[in-house]
Amino acid sequence: MRTSDLIDILARDVRPTPPGAANRKLLAALAAGGLITFAIVGLVLRCQPLLAAAQQPWFWMKAAYTGLLTIAGAVIVRRLSVPGSRVGAAPLAATLVILAMLGLGVDQILSAAQAGRVALWLGHTWKICSPLILLLAMPIYACLIAAIRGLAPTRPALTGAAAGFAAGALAATLYGLHCPEQAAPFVATWYTLGIGAATALGAIAGRRLLRW
Amino acid sequence: MPHQDETEERLRPLMIRSLEGDSGAHRQLLGMLGRYLRGYFARRIGTAAAEVEDLVQETLLAVHLKRDSYDRSLPFTPWAYALARYKLIDHFRRRNRSLQVPLEDAGALFAAEDAEERALRTDLERLLQRLPDRQRSLIEDVKLQGLSVEEAAHKRGVTAVSARVMLHRSLKWLSQALRDENV
Repeated sequence: MRTSDLIDILARDVRPTPPGAANRKLLAALAAGGLITFAIVGLVLRCQPLLAAAQQPWFWMKAAYTGLLTIAGAVIVRRLSVPGSRVGAAPLAATLVILAMLGLGVDQILSAAQAGRVALWLGHTWKICSPLILLLAMPIYACLIAAIRGLAPTRPALTGAAAGFAAGALAATLYGLHCPEQAAPFVATWYTLGIGAATALGAIAGRRLLRW
Repeated sequence: MPHQDETEERLRPLMIRSLEGDSGAHRQLLGMLGRYLRGYFARRIGTAAAEVEDLVQETLLAVHLKRDSYDRSLPFTPWAYALARYKLIDHFRRRNRSLQVPLEDAGALFAAEDAEERALRTDLERLLQRLPDRQRSLIEDVKLQGLSVEEAAHKRGVTAVSARVMLHRSLKWLSQALRDENV
């Protein structure tokens, strides 16, 4: 087929696209995936008593940590999916947030009595926390990948990692509605590990899924 | 780089009109881009290579299908260059050549136009034959007979909306198949 024929065909397939289509696609994917994960948290895992929890600083500490990471992750995904835009300071911001959380965890460990330190770190649910966050990230990751495939990521593995990170962070935020753990060392370790696992798997899957 | 600024000033308004649904602007944009892409790929993989035209067509399909990923507040030429460079890297990767494609200024794509089409029997031509009959005949009506989608739909007894959806899906399928061909 001649290239000029191809262009003729493509010119017949033009529909108006409103500005901001990329943002809308990605936000819709986060919302759709988040809704599925929220349903799993609410119906299968069950939320903790939220009215009581919402009056505790630790509840908001967890929400702020994973919420900020979700925002940073979403910004990175957006920039990697749109050629020509710079990734900017979002990865640095995410790193600083994680370092701050680790610092808070270490501080709490050091200021606790020796006997209570391990309990502070492991809580009651350390074995299931990271795997659950990874599982809960999957619906969000799937929705995000579907949306990114409609855009133009030129670095598939890196974009996959960013999608895994954003999905993991949002999953961790929603998991916080269920998870009754209160200690900063616990969150800094097991939440972060769950998000990290989602990031690594996201990179591996992204390498294959995000080619175009 | 004054030359590139000039290219940007010519192409970006066309892209914006194309995003607003102006098919004439879209055609003009793709025509100009096609000539730049041909020059760019020919310089990178050899002027005689039949693959040049395949790459041009594959990239034009990508430009068309991935228009959502263009942010109107950003310049157009770096976006187009990023798509072209990605397709070139992918081309080398599929042939197991670990050639490095340097990250250049977008001007690398817009250095010279090349209007001479390399091949008529492109991969796209072959893949077209693999489309289901209904989809292929729709494309042929539009391509060979120059019918509008509405006219082609009328001729085949389907609604214009479903013909439009079918055309878009066929283009998506072709774009995907073109990539998977030489994996």
